[in-house]
Amino acid sequence: MTARARLSEPTIGIIANPVSARDIRRVVANAGNLQITDRVNIVLRVLSSAAACGVKRALLMPDRGGIRALLERHFKRTHESVSWPEIEFLDMEPTSTVDDTFQATRLLLHAGVAAIVVLGGDGTHRAVVRELVQARARIPIAGLSTGTNNAFPEMREPTITGMAVGLFASGRVAAADALTPNKLIDVHIADAVRGDRRDVAIVDAVITHDRSIGARALWKTNSLDAAYLAFADAQSIGLSAIGGLLHPVGRREPGGLAVQIAHDGRHALLALDAPIAPGLVRSVPIASWQRMVADEPMAIAATAGTVALDGERELAFEPGQTVQMTLRENAFFTVDVARCMTVAAEQGLLRSGARPIP
Amino acid sequence: MASNPFPQSKEQLLQAYRTMRTIREFEERLHIDFGRGDIPGFVHLYAGEEAAGTGIMLHLGPGDRIASTHRGHGHCISKGVDVVAMMKEIYGKKGGACEGKGGSMHIADLDKGMMGANGILGAGAPLVCGAALAAKFRGKGEVAISFVGDGASNQGTFLESLNLAAVWNLPAIFVVENNGYAESTSRDYGVAVDSYVDRAAGFGLPGVTVDGTDFFAVHEAAGEIIARARKGGGPALLECKMVRFHGHFEGDAQTYRAPGENEHNRANNDCLKKFSAAVTSAGVISAAELQAIDHDVLGLIESAVVAAKAAPLPTQADLLTDVYVKY
Repeated sequence: MTARARLSEPTIGIIANPVSARDIRRVVANAGNLQITDRVNIVLRVLSSAAACGVKRALLMPDRGGIRALLERHFKRTHESVSWPEIEFLDMEPTSTVDDTFQATRLLLHAGVAAIVVLGGDGTHRAVVRELVQARARIPIAGLSTGTNNAFPEMREPTITGMAVGLFASGRVAAADALTPNKLIDVHIADAVRGDRRDVAIVDAVITHDRSIGARALWKTNSLDAAYLAFADAQSIGLSAIGGLLHPVGRREPGGLAVQIAHDGRHALLALDAPIAPGLVRSVPIASWQRMVADEPMAIAATAGTVALDGERELAFEPGQTVQMTLRENAFFTVDVARCMTVAAEQGLLRSGARPIP
Repeated sequence: MASNPFPQSKEQLLQAYRTMRTIREFEERLHIDFGRGDIPGFVHLYAGEEAAGTGIMLHLGPGDRIASTHRGHGHCISKGVDVVAMMKEIYGKKGGACEGKGGSMHIADLDKGMMGANGILGAGAPLVCGAALAAKFRGKGEVAISFVGDGASNQGTFLESLNLAAVWNLPAIFVVENNGYAESTSRDYGVAVDSYVDRAAGFGLPGVTVDGTDFFAVHEAAGEIIARARKGGGPALLECKMVRFHGHFEGDAQTYRAPGENEHNRANNDCLKKFSAAVTSAGVISAAELQAIDHDVLGLIESAVVAAKAAPLPTQADLLTDVYVKY
């Protein structure tokens, strides 16, 4: 039976990707590896803090990567004095592919959860957002960084994220205060013969000369052709750092950034040292850059290659297919953890006791 | 014909397809012949897992050593062991890779760098540490690769080998072929921490997980890991998530599988179908070229079976030969 949220019981969803941070960047760039046991600990901290702030039920994505198994073992043996929300795993058969994230998001939407907590890197968050955008859903996500490239999810103690989500899900912090809109890059590949394809990137959509998806991760600068960035932070890690170090664009400010890489006869205006992956600061030859304006499609120059979405090669395209990138504003919502906690402090939401508030 | 968009040359792609197809037909033929009672002993088939062995072994030369498992036919073929000699060996006949005295689980060909299939789970890993130590002393940039299944990854020998390889900084690579089942026990039940990358990290090794049914993913990741080891970068672990089309052994009723699981895997997770679709849609290799290879391979397998059936059995005089190495 499909789980449904009950209005009287504030319910959240949790999608914890067991296979983020497992790709070749461990070998080529000494990228980090957050162990499954630590991911489970993060889920437990989110659950306990969300429950402390009013969440009664949590619907979790099942997996075959060890998170569900370790959580179930934990709850069987635990004698802690922690109050847990009622926990239910979604009724789906895990495939151990990104399809699990897509399906879990759809099930959580159907269940009507108040918010979805996501554990993963940029790629996992992208997968959740893709489903939300396709469904035109306004359910917010709260991201926790457990992946390789983590430009999108902020580095934060999960306990605090769990509290903020709990305050929002239980209605103690209103949506107007708790939620913030985000931008994305809308990728459209037109193919008159085989049909169009659409996808999204929440940080960077990058064109490469590779025409093979291969091991997916992107770490070689000589294959880069262009980068289309929803935002570009100077402190970012990953391909969006190229834009961040050329012409920073904030998450909250209008517009994005398009950067053309100098290959295939393009003249290099300058060379930029950028951290394109954890541990990999590389010189990138830059041809040009320009701001992206919301809802104005930009056609890419390359005639064949691969579109990498948030750090991973995803979509191959061939001559005869045209690729357009469009910046979209107010595309999806995230829980603004800092704002939620500030409101909680200002309004004394976490205080109790009989004495008047000084 | 379109320009080649793949990092592999057309010759490499054709070789990869021929190898994968040879493994597939070899195994499917054994499935039939074993069912008829033509073959003595046990066989464990590699069908469905071809992209892993092939994607890795394309990076290796004869000086690179591998240690295989009980499910070793695919490793043998992709490492270059003669298919006719393998078939004779499995049929228990003279002229086999081990003169018909080893059978399926003991095929070895040291000239090809194939140190042997192995009936003892996890036993290949320490052997590979030895081979990698030798390679390190020779200093020619050779590597050694141990294959284990997800079940054997729980063996102490495997875990001890990870430690030894890390301590000695060996050019050793540990490939976990994760097909989800240790014989009939689901990995979900039998492995406490499901991530093999986590296990590697526990011993100070980098680990990578790839889709083992995707030749291109395996080939790229293995290439980086092997190149790193050749340059003195040390050991690493590669987990290939894969499916096996047959049971643990031939005759396994597979009652532990979900209904329709095998049919789903053959329809959606067939590495040969994925490879064929990729290279033909890119216009690099035509369907006719693939069909020509299919035809060649079927002929090779048929001739191997004919030769195996015609070959004599070992005699009593052969009992005590090839027991010890002469120095």
